[in-house]
Amino acid sequence: MLSIKNLHASVEEKNIIKGLNLEVKPGEVHAIMGPNGAGKSTLGYVLSGRDGYEVSEGDVSLNGKDLLELEVEERAREGLFLAFQYPVEIPGVSNMEFMKESVNAMREQRGEEPLSAAEFLKKAKAACKQVQLPLDFLKRGVNEGFSGGEKKRNEIMQMILLEPSLCILDESDSGLDVDALQVVADGVNSQRDGKRSFIVVTHYQRLLDYIKPDFVHILADGKIVKSGDASLAHEVEKSGYAFLGKSYEEAEA
Amino acid sequence: MSQWLEKVIGEAQIQDYLAPVRQQALTQLKTEGWPARRNESWRFTPLTSVEKRNVNIATQGHDAPVPAIDNLNAIDLVFVDGVLITQVNGLDVPAGMSITSLNTDDSDTQQAVASVFGQVKPTRHLFGRVNDALCQHGIFINVEAGADITTPIRIVNLATQNLDAHTRVVVKLGEKAKAIIVEQGVGDVDSLTTAFAEYDIADDAHLEHYRFAMFTGAAKQLGGSHFKLHNRSTLNSTMVGYGSELSRLDVDIHHAGEFADAKMNAIYLLAEGELFDLHSTIEHAMPNGTTEENARGIVGDKARAVFNGRIHIHRDAQKTLAELNNRNLLLSRRGVINTKPELEIYADDVKCAHGATVAEIDEEALYYLLTRGVPRSKALVMLNFGFIRELVYDVPNAAIRDWLLPILSERFTHMEVK
Repeated sequence: MLSIKNLHASVEEKNIIKGLNLEVKPGEVHAIMGPNGAGKSTLGYVLSGRDGYEVSEGDVSLNGKDLLELEVEERAREGLFLAFQYPVEIPGVSNMEFMKESVNAMREQRGEEPLSAAEFLKKAKAACKQVQLPLDFLKRGVNEGFSGGEKKRNEIMQMILLEPSLCILDESDSGLDVDALQVVADGVNSQRDGKRSFIVVTHYQRLLDYIKPDFVHILADGKIVKSGDASLAHEVEKSGYAFLGKSYEEAEA
Repeated sequence: MSQWLEKVIGEAQIQDYLAPVRQQALTQLKTEGWPARRNESWRFTPLTSVEKRNVNIATQGHDAPVPAIDNLNAIDLVFVDGVLITQVNGLDVPAGMSITSLNTDDSDTQQAVASVFGQVKPTRHLFGRVNDALCQHGIFINVEAGADITTPIRIVNLATQNLDAHTRVVVKLGEKAKAIIVEQGVGDVDSLTTAFAEYDIADDAHLEHYRFAMFTGAAKQLGGSHFKLHNRSTLNSTMVGYGSELSRLDVDIHHAGEFADAKMNAIYLLAEGELFDLHSTIEHAMPNGTTEENARGIVGDKARAVFNGRIHIHRDAQKTLAELNNRNLLLSRRGVINTKPELEIYADDVKCAHGATVAEIDEEALYYLLTRGVPRSKALVMLNFGFIRELVYDVPNAAIRDWLLPILSERFTHMEVK
């Protein structure tokens, strides 16, 4: 599925990712935790191909394809989905117009016919319902005037519609109350089908009570410094990142 | 004085019934000459590509393919390289109107033409003067009082060779008359076209007007559309400009009667390296007039758009309502927009607003759409074409709307900066 080998990446000539390795197999859920500034969000941007995020070393393949050779939109069509921590507001472009274009781009990639307006609307309505967004959100500008929680749910709604093979959730829990967190987690869990893989990036263990990870990795200073099962997240919850910082120092020595 | 202008003056023939206007224009060309580099009217639009041109005027016409506008079902009047190739005498026109050549021996027609020719267009336009002095091919459209002509009249200027073309359109709308007139210019070869049109719109008449200035490449266009509005008359005009090596449109709307209403929407889409210049002047000389002007454009890499929109409200023009807005999108830091909305108000009881904005591509929004697999060209259209599309949706004629939207989207997707 996803294979990251010795990835080095920088933003504005500042090295952020410094030799990251990660293997994600179909159906697995990997959580990436780490202190602020560890490079968690950067990883998502680098994998999605955002402008200004330079890869200086390493290989990334998704479903056997060299991801780093592809443009942003091609990566998305290969099945990569990034749910943003802070989704941008785009007034003037309706959610409906945007998602229809997007869904049909994915269908074209899979060699399927584009959906008619009616077929699309049916799917979109079902996805809205699943994440408890009112239907009129489809007509509104993309994320325009949405609350923080609504934006996060809109991201999950898009994920449901686009049926990606690898989902990266970038702090999808931040700023959510417990009820909203439950909705987001239910949306994600509904998409776990044994084949689709997830990378859940989070600062807190809380989200992982709702989305159970198979693996937990600790990212510090651009590298994965510790990996384990779900119990590692609880360890972090108890004692914070301080002890990891220490072990990281030891590893450096 | 430029070499080209000297030759123009040498070419002028002023013995026909339009001699008074032609003579005046020629005198002005001689005395005022070529604009100095700092001349405000040409400050951002260099005329170097004209200065050294030879003057070559076609004597014979030839056929050329006319771009179609599906379902418009218009009466087409076609100039090729400045020569009128449509046989206007044999045209089947709707009752209540007539179309004649400006080269006419009929004294009534001559009189009607002379009441508009050079009477609507102000004399200050340099290339308007050139056109006054040199135009040999032109059309007079007369719509009788009360006639409601629903068949659009389309006037097409095609530039196909390295020639200078000077064509003229003179339109007279009688009281309560209605007409739809489309001016269209197309060509990309090295050439120079001055196409000027004058519209005299009588009391209670309505003109639906279009000007598609679609010259590109080395085709230079220096033209204008000029309107005189009498009492309660209305004008709805939509203009579309592509850029070329040199492309300039001068528009004048003169509220000569009370309660006249003018609406003008202008769109310009400039591809790499092109120049387009729109100068509009709205004269509110009489009370109770309304004007709404929206000019919106997208400027590609190394291209330049010049917009000068002046609204002049005279002392007697009380209760005028005038709005002018210019919005621009720059696709590249190497593109340039010179925009200057001007309000000059001498009446004290009026409502006026003007504004101009320049925006750039929102890279973050573009990235967001791309991460959802939307093709780049479509994402750019979605993000940046909406404000242009709004003006296309505003076009009253459905056939023109349906024709414009795809060709403008297509042009826009090819303007992307690599």
